[in-house]
Amino acid sequence: MSAFREGGRFPDWSSAGVAVALLTLPFVLPTVTLASELVVFAIAALSCAFLLGMVGLLSFGQGLFFGIGAYVAGILLEQHHWATLPAVLLAAVAACLTAGLLGLLAVRQRGVYFVMLTLAFAQMGYFAMLALKQHTGGENGITGVPRAPLLSGLGPLAGPEAVYGLLAVVAFLAFLLVQRISASPFGSVLRSIRENEGRAEALGYDVRAYKVAAFALAGLVAGLAGAMHTIFLGFVPPNVIELEMSERLIIMSIIGGAGAPAAAFLGAGFYVLMADWLSTLWPRWLMLIGFMLAGIVLLMRDGLWGGAAALSRRLRMGRQTRG
Amino acid sequence: MSGQLLVFQVLNGIGIGMIYFLLSVGLTMIFGLMRFVNFAHGALYLVAAYAAYVVSQLTGTMLWALIAGPLVAAALAVVAERLLLRHTYAMPHEAQILITFAVALIVQESVILIFDPLAKNVPVPAFLSGIVFIGPFVYPAYRLAVVAVAAAVALLLWLVLERTRFGAILRAGSESSEMVSLLGIDVHRVFLAAFALGGALAGLAGALAAPLRGVEPFMGLEALGIAFVVVVVGGIGSFSGALLGGLLIGVVQSVMSSLWPEGARLMIYGAMALVLLTRPAGLMGRA
Repeated sequence: MSAFREGGRFPDWSSAGVAVALLTLPFVLPTVTLASELVVFAIAALSCAFLLGMVGLLSFGQGLFFGIGAYVAGILLEQHHWATLPAVLLAAVAACLTAGLLGLLAVRQRGVYFVMLTLAFAQMGYFAMLALKQHTGGENGITGVPRAPLLSGLGPLAGPEAVYGLLAVVAFLAFLLVQRISASPFGSVLRSIRENEGRAEALGYDVRAYKVAAFALAGLVAGLAGAMHTIFLGFVPPNVIELEMSERLIIMSIIGGAGAPAAAFLGAGFYVLMADWLSTLWPRWLMLIGFMLAGIVLLMRDGLWGGAAALSRRLRMGRQTRG
Repeated sequence: MSGQLLVFQVLNGIGIGMIYFLLSVGLTMIFGLMRFVNFAHGALYLVAAYAAYVVSQLTGTMLWALIAGPLVAAALAVVAERLLLRHTYAMPHEAQILITFAVALIVQESVILIFDPLAKNVPVPAFLSGIVFIGPFVYPAYRLAVVAVAAAVALLLWLVLERTRFGAILRAGSESSEMVSLLGIDVHRVFLAAFALGGALAGLAGALAAPLRGVEPFMGLEALGIAFVVVVVGGIGSFSGALLGGLLIGVVQSVMSSLWPEGARLMIYGAMALVLLTRPAGLMGRA
């Protein structure tokens, strides 16, 4: 699969593109709720794309960290009446710590064994949620999460527009964080691990430590997305921690192309809009997603982002030959 | 839990475990052969279970599904392999995981499209609907028949693997596919055959399971998870490991389900993670 490109500048034109997209989405899309959903999944897909594109790790566990973020935020807001911002931060930290701990274990294995370990962790998380039903509500989830003020003392987050505003800020910060890391020396080491793990190790880098750090960071981003999912929805449905959520995030990042941080946003946007538009026309639209996924794996390895980049290259070349 | 109930749950677990074994054999086989992780394996089980539903609707009994189910599943496996999967053999394993995952998604959505998302009942064949007395214990006749059928198939499979040329190639291939191809055997054709055989066995598992648990479109995903656990615990690529793993998971799940139902699944996935971390070759695998 495709990788984050080397030598990405920070910030570049895609940072501006994401900012513009975040500002215009609520006006372009039919509802603010749809825009919010899109942005939540954009953050979550970013976590998957970061692992896959930077370190070459395919994780079936990102749904787990998304779910942990969602549940921790839900429990803090509903049972402990926290303010929004501290709840979101603690939820993201909880997901980050869990990812760090599980990462310490998971990086002991490589390849398919790594994938299967993340899958086992994801399933354990789901069944642990069912087993702890006095805290998590079991199959009912956590309902009636109040819309708390941003910080205690302030007024409540009034209406979906305010929630979207918060979401857009969080998404932009998460995007800049990943983009900054991608352009940093730390990012170069991660890329070298992706290209050739043995060589990175021979150069003296502690490959496992780098992988754990990347896994924890991806957990932080996924947890942030999960927490924002709770804020925007006002309840925690149990499907946030199901294996199917992990799969959905993988699909989004693959469709986007994992070729750059902004590709994850593109993939999530495509998926959420397809779901919204097609589900009313044809309830089995997921079948199309399946065909699309197969097509991308076989024919268009760089996903939508790669396709768009190739198209813009060709247009530019065409202009040069004409001029 | 009373002794009577415990024995009943263990017997039940053996029945379920035999189904898990049939389900997992194909997954472990193709992994052993080509390090190929097949996320579409649950879809083979799914289509065969729906074949059992259709057969029982048409003929009034699901008996013919014991042939139709494996055939449908094997056909699906071969078509998927020829059309899509074989193009990914030279690609990194992520590509193989994603393409089989796409196949699973397409099959699942097709099933919902043809039928509907609701769970359906498949009646037990009339002559097996009673109970049998085993000493002081009563046991449903159908579950006993499942154990018998699965045991017979397991024996047959063992004979094929140990006594035929094809079996020898399969076993040698799962040890070292490079060596087998150096000996002049077309590994890709062996792989296709293994795919069809594994598909047929998963199909038999699906057909046998249909009267026990009913059919619904998401049973494939659930079966895939279980099959991964069985394969990992037993040892990836090991046939006897799949039998041991299947029985172990079946019995643990069955006994735990009357003690702590939510904990049963947590435990088996915990076991999967533990084996992957400490003994990735599995209980029966060579370290």
